[in-house]
Amino acid sequence: MMSEVRFHGRGGQGVVTTSKILANAFARTGQFGASFPMFGFERRGAPVTAFGRFSDKPVKEKTQIYNPNILVVLDPSQKNSPAVFDGLLPGGMLLLNDKKNQGDIRHENLKKLAVVDANRIAMEEIGLPIPNTVVVGAFARMSGLLDIEPVLEALADYFSGKKLDANKVCARRGFEEVTTVDL
Amino acid sequence: MNTTATSSRVKVITGNAAAAIAAKLARPDVVAAYPITPQTEVIEQISSFHASGEMDCELITVEGENSAMNAVMAASLAGARVFTASSSWGLVFMYDAVLATAGARAPVVMVNVNRETPGIIAVSSGQQDMISTRDAGWIFLIAENCQEILDLVLQSYRLAEDYDIQLPVMVHYDGFFLSYLSEGVEIPEQETVDRFLSVLESQPRRTVLRPGEKLGVGTHGILGGYMELRHKHVTAMERSKAKFEAIDKEFADIFGRTYGGQLEEYRTDDADMVLVGSGSMCGTIKSVIDDQREKGVRIGLVKIRMYRPFPHQALVKALKGKKAIGVVDRSLAFGFDGGPIYTELKAFETRLGGAKLVSFIDGIANTDITKTNVIQMIQLTADLADGKDVPEVTWVSYPEANTDKGEK
Amino acid sequence: MAEKKKGRLTKVLDYLKYDDPFSKGVAFCPGCGLELLLRFIPRVLGNDIIITGTPSCSAPVLLGQNKQSWHTLSYFGTLMTGAAANATGLVRYYKKAGIENTVVCFNGDGTANDIGFGNLSGAAERNEPFIYICYDNEGYMNTGIQKSGTTPYGATTTTTPFGTVHRGKNLRRMNLGLKMAMNKIPYTATATLSDLEDLAKKLLKAKKAKERGFCFLHVFAPCPTGWGADPADTIEICRQAVKTNYFPLWEAENGKIRMTKTVKKPKPVSDYTKMMKKFNHMTEEDIAILQEDVEYECCLLGGLSVLEAECRLPVSADD
Repeated sequence: MMSEVRFHGRGGQGVVTTSKILANAFARTGQFGASFPMFGFERRGAPVTAFGRFSDKPVKEKTQIYNPNILVVLDPSQKNSPAVFDGLLPGGMLLLNDKKNQGDIRHENLKKLAVVDANRIAMEEIGLPIPNTVVVGAFARMSGLLDIEPVLEALADYFSGKKLDANKVCARRGFEEVTTVDL
Repeated sequence: MNTTATSSRVKVITGNAAAAIAAKLARPDVVAAYPITPQTEVIEQISSFHASGEMDCELITVEGENSAMNAVMAASLAGARVFTASSSWGLVFMYDAVLATAGARAPVVMVNVNRETPGIIAVSSGQQDMISTRDAGWIFLIAENCQEILDLVLQSYRLAEDYDIQLPVMVHYDGFFLSYLSEGVEIPEQETVDRFLSVLESQPRRTVLRPGEKLGVGTHGILGGYMELRHKHVTAMERSKAKFEAIDKEFADIFGRTYGGQLEEYRTDDADMVLVGSGSMCGTIKSVIDDQREKGVRIGLVKIRMYRPFPHQALVKALKGKKAIGVVDRSLAFGFDGGPIYTELKAFETRLGGAKLVSFIDGIANTDITKTNVIQMIQLTADLADGKDVPEVTWVSYPEANTDKGEK
Repeated sequence: MAEKKKGRLTKVLDYLKYDDPFSKGVAFCPGCGLELLLRFIPRVLGNDIIITGTPSCSAPVLLGQNKQSWHTLSYFGTLMTGAAANATGLVRYYKKAGIENTVVCFNGDGTANDIGFGNLSGAAERNEPFIYICYDNEGYMNTGIQKSGTTPYGATTTTTPFGTVHRGKNLRRMNLGLKMAMNKIPYTATATLSDLEDLAKKLLKAKKAKERGFCFLHVFAPCPTGWGADPADTIEICRQAVKTNYFPLWEAENGKIRMTKTVKKPKPVSDYTKMMKKFNHMTEEDIAILQEDVEYECCLLGGLSVLEAECRLPVSADD
């Protein structure tokens, strides 16, 4: 079974890294992951889209994702953008970084909504509003595809020292504090 | 091909990182390079390995690509193992030195991250840079995924520096689609790579330029003298085909991965129809083929891994007797009805046992070769097999091209 | 007088410690400044140098043809676009492999100042340990005498011919030596064939200084064929170029400029220009423009040498 995930955020939020850490975590469980950015100029603050394919079988496809079954929105201002839901498959899931579930997310194909206040957690743990490591922890919980351990291990490829410790706390809190509702 | 991701040595890295790590594992003496999107990460990684002492090489941070190629060419002819990397305009800017390197038979290894080169400044993927340099006299190899980038760079050193070959090798991989793709790559141990490359040490020493020796590089060759060297170049290129196959087998024994040499054939044995492609598109094509096979469509893929020298004998062997063949090009050939690889394959049409050929242009300027596009190509190839009227060339992502009568 | 002259000659011969590696009667024009320079270099620096050469007047002799060679030196035939980068590749590998070497990157003004300036500049910035020698014959002579960036004001070439509207080159020449000295490389110098002892000393200084990095020699080398001069006058043209300050002799160690020959009473530049046909058409006004150019560059050079003495530049650690 292959999950096709599309990530929406802004430059500076670590959108592409979110996807990379997840691919890394999947590889650590003997599964397969592929992560890549949507191609264009990257600028801090500009909307950024990234993709992830996660599977128990080798991932052959090298195309962008047009029909995701999971959406991850790191930038809450994009949560109702039509571009976010474009091509979402029936039975889809959405992980949203927002203060709380404001009950305003609706899409005919959306069956599961998970919300995590990643910016607040990141501010508390690393002192910066960079939500990505909280989001990877929350993703593991919401998707049910990963345990938290491989996620924590994967972080060591991207951080070291105190930053690694703080980001591990972020991921663990994301895993624990994410709230999920079935729609 | 993907790896079994259970080993602790599997790292999730980009195609660019795979190229840089492969270069590190080959232990080059001299690296010279200049940054260009989408290759930049390769030299950033190498600079980082160099700064930390993980890589013990002379790193020449040149003022432009032309100097990168000139520096590694000269170092190579002095006896060094060398590496460089470029893309698109960078490859074009080093073109005179690219030709000189081949003519001098300098065993340079480089990666070229494919990117468009037309005057419309396109920071986007496409193989026009490769096509524009195809007869420079280099061996051209093309990778499909991040693992293959790493493996091909390692194999390239064995091919380039082999005493019977002594030719430069360029490993091409698609910009953006592979340069920035992160996926699991099995990174071999240094000792294993050393063992794989140690065969070269047992071969006779090639002629190298050393101070005080009465020896020259770059003689002015004319008439018979020139033709003698050019003909030797042509025959060395031809020898590289079998050598590459042998290296692939040896690589499989040591590293446990095999790709099939000049071509990789995917589900072609009982196929009526075959798509011919190269690079990252082949992964997507394989996944579509798997779906189509479940629906009973007898379709296969021939992936070109060695593009120069042109592997026509292997292509004829793989394609002979098929009903219809669709060739996917990520670049253009002017004055021909079809893409460059299609046009080249067309030269061997009479040896293909009646197989019909059709050309697809797709994936230029970062156009995504989607599954939908591949399905359309398979449908058109099937129509051709069924004797229906199919246009010789189809611009898959630009249908306007198929109705454009050329008024403008 | 005769005795004094003999003494000077002996001094030059003292520097010629090695055999001439070139065969007699090589394919250069009579009176070629390039040939004299090319034969002189290995006699001073040794026959174990590696010399690199481009497609140019030097090519037939330096590169040989098929399996035949005019000399017994190690050589590397470069492209004009990448000469300094080729030399870089050689010295970097020899450094890595621990092989002692003296690489002489030998190019005309077309390569050094024009088509290959980018990689000359890059090699200087990276302080690559080799000797770059530019033989300046003020034009693209091998392709048939076309203008280069060092062709002086007024000179006719086949791309700056004398016509009714345009009369020779209407742009000033670039000062290649100063361009390089401004970058504080270990050694920069100008030299010419009338002052061979000065040239020999500078070659030896460069050989020593290249242990610390990049060295650049700008050598004035007349082309009687291209300039319309008597082949017998080559050395005299060099002498007049120095005496008129058309081509001053100086050196810069770690950027510190010092005149190696001071011309107390410089002669008018017309004493130099009258020796060749390429300036024949120039009016007094034209010559005055060239004279002003010569004086400007000379003043600049003098000013820089004084300025740098006063600035008391810090001596580099490995001095």
